[in-house]
Amino acid sequence: MKYLFTLVLSVSFVVTCFGQDNYDVDLIPSLLRNRANSCIRKEETTIDMRSPDNVMLYVKKAVTVFNENGEREAELVLYYDKNTAIKGIKGEVYNAVGMPVSKFTQNDFSDISAADGFSLFVDSRVKHYLPNVNQFPYTVVYSYEIRNKQSLIIPDWQPKPASDVSVEKSIYTFISKPSDQVRIKASNYPGVPEVTVDEKQKKMVWNVSSLPAVKTEPYSPDPETYFTSIKIAPEHFTYYNHKGSYTNWQDLGKWVYEDLLKDRTALSPATIQTIKELVKDEKTDKEKSKKIYQYLQNRTRYISVQIGIGGFQPVSASEVDRLGYGDCKALVNYMQSLLKAADIESYYCVVEAGSQKKSVDPGFASMVQGNHIILCLPLKGDTTWLECTSQKIPFGFLSDFTDDRLVLACTAEGGKLLRTPKLTTQENRQFRNARLIISADGNVTGSMNTVFSGAQYDNHEAMIGKSVSEQHKMLKASYNVDNIDIKSVSFAQKKDIAPEFTENIDIDIPNYVPVNGKKMFLQPNVFNTMRSIPELRNRTLPVYINRGYTDEDTIVYTLPDNVDTDLITTNERVLSSVFGSYISKASVAGNQLTYYRKIVLNDGTFPAEKYAEFSKFMSDVNATDFLKLALSLK
Amino acid sequence: MNKIFLVLIVLLTTSMAIRAQDFTFGAITYADYEFDKKTLDSNANAVVLKEFGTASIQLDESTGHLELVFVHHVKIKIYNKEGFKEANIIIPMSKDDNQEETISELKASTFNLDGGRFVETLMDKKAVFTENRSKYTRLTKFTLPNLKEGSVIEYSYRLRSPGLFNFKTWEFQADIPKVISEYLVYIPGIYTYNVSLRGYQKLTDQKVELNKECLRLSGVAIDCSKISYVMKDIPAFIEEDNMTAPSNFKSAIYFELAEVQSLSGGKTSYTKSWKDVDYELVSDKNLGGQMKRKDVFKDLLPAIIKDAPDDLAKAKAIYNYIKKQIKWNNYYGKYTEDNIKKALDFRSGNVADVNLSLIAALSAANLDAEAVILSTRENGTVNKLYPVLSDFNYVVAKVNIGETSYLLDATEPLMPFGLLPLRCINDQGRVINIKKPSYWLDLKASQKSSTNYILTGKLTQEGKIVGTLVTHSLGYAAYNKRRDILKYSSPDEYVEKLDDRLTRIRISDHQITGLDSVENALTETYQVEFSINDGLKDQFYFSPFFINSISKNPFNLNERTYPVDLGAASDERVIINVSIADQYEMLEKPKNMAIALPNAGGKYLVQCDFDGNTLSMSQILQFNNAIYQPDDYFALKEFYSKIIQNQKSEILLKKVKK
Repeated sequence: MKYLFTLVLSVSFVVTCFGQDNYDVDLIPSLLRNRANSCIRKEETTIDMRSPDNVMLYVKKAVTVFNENGEREAELVLYYDKNTAIKGIKGEVYNAVGMPVSKFTQNDFSDISAADGFSLFVDSRVKHYLPNVNQFPYTVVYSYEIRNKQSLIIPDWQPKPASDVSVEKSIYTFISKPSDQVRIKASNYPGVPEVTVDEKQKKMVWNVSSLPAVKTEPYSPDPETYFTSIKIAPEHFTYYNHKGSYTNWQDLGKWVYEDLLKDRTALSPATIQTIKELVKDEKTDKEKSKKIYQYLQNRTRYISVQIGIGGFQPVSASEVDRLGYGDCKALVNYMQSLLKAADIESYYCVVEAGSQKKSVDPGFASMVQGNHIILCLPLKGDTTWLECTSQKIPFGFLSDFTDDRLVLACTAEGGKLLRTPKLTTQENRQFRNARLIISADGNVTGSMNTVFSGAQYDNHEAMIGKSVSEQHKMLKASYNVDNIDIKSVSFAQKKDIAPEFTENIDIDIPNYVPVNGKKMFLQPNVFNTMRSIPELRNRTLPVYINRGYTDEDTIVYTLPDNVDTDLITTNERVLSSVFGSYISKASVAGNQLTYYRKIVLNDGTFPAEKYAEFSKFMSDVNATDFLKLALSLK
Repeated sequence: MNKIFLVLIVLLTTSMAIRAQDFTFGAITYADYEFDKKTLDSNANAVVLKEFGTASIQLDESTGHLELVFVHHVKIKIYNKEGFKEANIIIPMSKDDNQEETISELKASTFNLDGGRFVETLMDKKAVFTENRSKYTRLTKFTLPNLKEGSVIEYSYRLRSPGLFNFKTWEFQADIPKVISEYLVYIPGIYTYNVSLRGYQKLTDQKVELNKECLRLSGVAIDCSKISYVMKDIPAFIEEDNMTAPSNFKSAIYFELAEVQSLSGGKTSYTKSWKDVDYELVSDKNLGGQMKRKDVFKDLLPAIIKDAPDDLAKAKAIYNYIKKQIKWNNYYGKYTEDNIKKALDFRSGNVADVNLSLIAALSAANLDAEAVILSTRENGTVNKLYPVLSDFNYVVAKVNIGETSYLLDATEPLMPFGLLPLRCINDQGRVINIKKPSYWLDLKASQKSSTNYILTGKLTQEGKIVGTLVTHSLGYAAYNKRRDILKYSSPDEYVEKLDDRLTRIRISDHQITGLDSVENALTETYQVEFSINDGLKDQFYFSPFFINSISKNPFNLNERTYPVDLGAASDERVIINVSIADQYEMLEKPKNMAIALPNAGGKYLVQCDFDGNTLSMSQILQFNNAIYQPDDYFALKEFYSKIIQNQKSEILLKKVKK
């Protein structure tokens, strides 16, 4: 699906290089070398809010890159648009012993459009530079300066950007007028900033030093929960000739509504009439909405159009009506306008989209949170949510792209935080029944029926509408079994708030059960095996499972006559832990061998010391999934 | 393999009336709207119904310069939502500091059938965006309005280009099928172009006729040859795994300027014979000129080769010196950025700086060294019919010692002597010698990519195999592994990650040798431990295929159009010796097997033995070719399938009762 906003974070630039510093790699303490692919030797970020339309950002940074995996930190990427001016970039590259080897300036940067994929996108651009060094380690030192003609978005500070980066020293300074009101959110920062105030300015300084790199740990929570960061939001702001003030979500939502949305909803009388006509026979608002949603899906498609106020303002509804396309803001705004024509109320909601759940921070309102827009219909208590950029998704279903998180609804009464519905472990279901016949020479043929629902619905919906050859290719990729051939495919969809996707396929798998002497070897779990996860020692972070699911597979094999079924004993394994449960059972009745597997994986956050148990559970499931039966032949 | 057909362009005086002409914009018919895709490709989401292009050289009155004018007109039927992306159009326009391509007369419309009539929705000019993609490219982007399943879309534009050298390439094949694609070119008689058709599809028709007085220069009327190229029923181009550059396979027609005749009668040659090109390259100050600069190394050489007893040792010493001394700056090129003296002083340079330095140094040591210019894999294969210098983007060294030649590329410190990086293994390169005529040379990997695994251990009462796994890697296998290891801060961290990844195997101790001596094998020694069951029973199964077992078939599809290019031949061996304390007998085992690919393309051997308390297994998997033809795909599929089937069977051991 589609993200709306690009990073509008303007970053700032170099003033002077730290010429006097010594960048000999040997000077880095061993504590900061261990596990580090790169080390931030020194970083100074200074923000000087001279006036709401003149916020200076100065950055000076020195990074040592130890190996290829660390190059990400040497890359300098600067987004900019009409609201920002990059004043000067300069830098130097030093070799391992700290001798300068090359210099670079703004001219060495590639300047490319920030558009990704097909996007009608004109405003935002990105400057990009990666020192071309083939010899590790090296150190890149640079500085730049950016003038922001706005104060809505203030660059925040996260001194340690990733686990594999160590930090020798990082300093963040915020300068404002003593009278300026700002809100500050400090996360995982020990202590308080140094504050100095005189008549002209108030200066706040945060700093960290000697942060070692740590091992990356899978199934970790959002890094924001354990990395240090400082975020700043001024109360009064200027943005693209708009002015406003906010101290909470209520105010910010109000501003978005009043300044960016309110006048974008007008539709032509003809369209209003079409809508009234369309819903005249529907009795409830929900049925009407459903009709209108269908109208939207048939008439529009998603095209990213990144223009207008920093990517925050939708194209007008009448424009979308004429063109038949728009981005998420435009399509939500259009849908909202269509609903209004039928006198149905709805809210324009800002959400941080992505499979990884992320809520807007209830305690700290700011404009940088959220990257997508969805629509909420209160419907007198029967709250319904709409994703407006997909032409396939069922009415009322948000998918795992935006489920279970706090979003900001921008309404006439101001901003409200609402939570989108959660797709639960029980709902995220895969339910499979297969009947397969094994021939005496080990070929397998049969049919399989699988029903996917909840978050698992999404993974398969994409197959609808694809050509037969593409469907076969996709199925072969998901059921990657040697020799598998898909004989026929049919799909069915239950398109409602709890959608289901049914896949019926007929398959042949020649030689799936190879015969070796007087035995046949059968791995009964053909299609659904679990991967194991690393077994880390000394886990430090909590275990976070983003979303749970339930899979239930039953495969009934008809065995060939030459298999001696008397020799088959029932094979059963049951596992249970706080993370979920698992059953695997193979049993025989007559010439039918039934394989049954059920796994339930729970979502949630668990203490770090539980990781070993989690890893054991997953690895036991993995081992059991590969169970092989040696069938004796008569 | 890549087929390039030479399309002869002769200035014909015969007149076969070319009826080719552009179709009328907006004249949508029911035949268009109801076009049955099954006649072409039932899987298509959209089909190009008609495409017409015209290119000619014209005088720009305002500047007085000649320019290329290209008019492109397309009509597309969209069948379903999957085909909507065909309505998102991007037209690249090249530019440099002085001049740029421009687009004009852009129009685009969507046609929908509404109440028995075709209703046209015009694209608004405001919906066209121009994006500065990079320093050298601008993009014109637009999307069509009011798109529905079943819509027919149509667009056309005129592109004016200041560059005449490559005329205008025409791609017959695209990611959707085309009913007909027609290209009409007007080439003034004073211009001679070499024309080549690439790809697997053949032209349906080609006609040439004389077009009188198509261009007027300084009052002189010039005739043109008017050529039309037609291709019908063109399948969609679909990329496959393990293939080199798509441009090698996509059907398209390419032009390269060979000669221009001036009005006064003089001729300027652009594309020449190899003889001319040889002279040009050898005398070029950034290529041949650098090869000759033995002086640069005169004083350095004695120290570099002082311990070398023979020519081969000298060559190796020089190769290692250049690898160490001049670091590649990640840029390709067959010409030096400046000169090799500067590269040596700054210890950095592009491919040509590094490898021409190597050639000069080898020559300075009185070794027979030549340059080989080539095109890297992602750059496509080069034209073999006549020299197209712009096809070549890379240069390596060739040193001849006695009867043996070695290809050397000093840009990759981790490459052993005589082995080119995989990016250079692409069909053929041209050997450039300062004194002799140039010639083609096959670019093949000189070494197989080879890995040997040897596991020696014992099976304990607890059902664990405890032992030592030694892995030797050579060729690209060693190169890739060395690169992998060096991505980590230390080999210890690499092993730690490996241990995390191999969840069933615990690595208790390790040693990696040969990391820096790239001429030798890379050897990894791991003390390993892993469970095969919960404790030894009297009778138990276990699989001997626990090292690099094959469970997925990489060739699992039902069709293949293009060759499978694996880059290099490979060889993988596994030897396992596991001892068991008690006496057991082996009741069952995987079949001993020896299978081969046709034409000695590869083989797989496996043998399993048990002598009462030691289990031994040996396995060899070899691929002898770097490239397999599309017909071989099914043999490869079957070959892998047999291996997978065999690896599913297990060993059954039974305790011998005393």
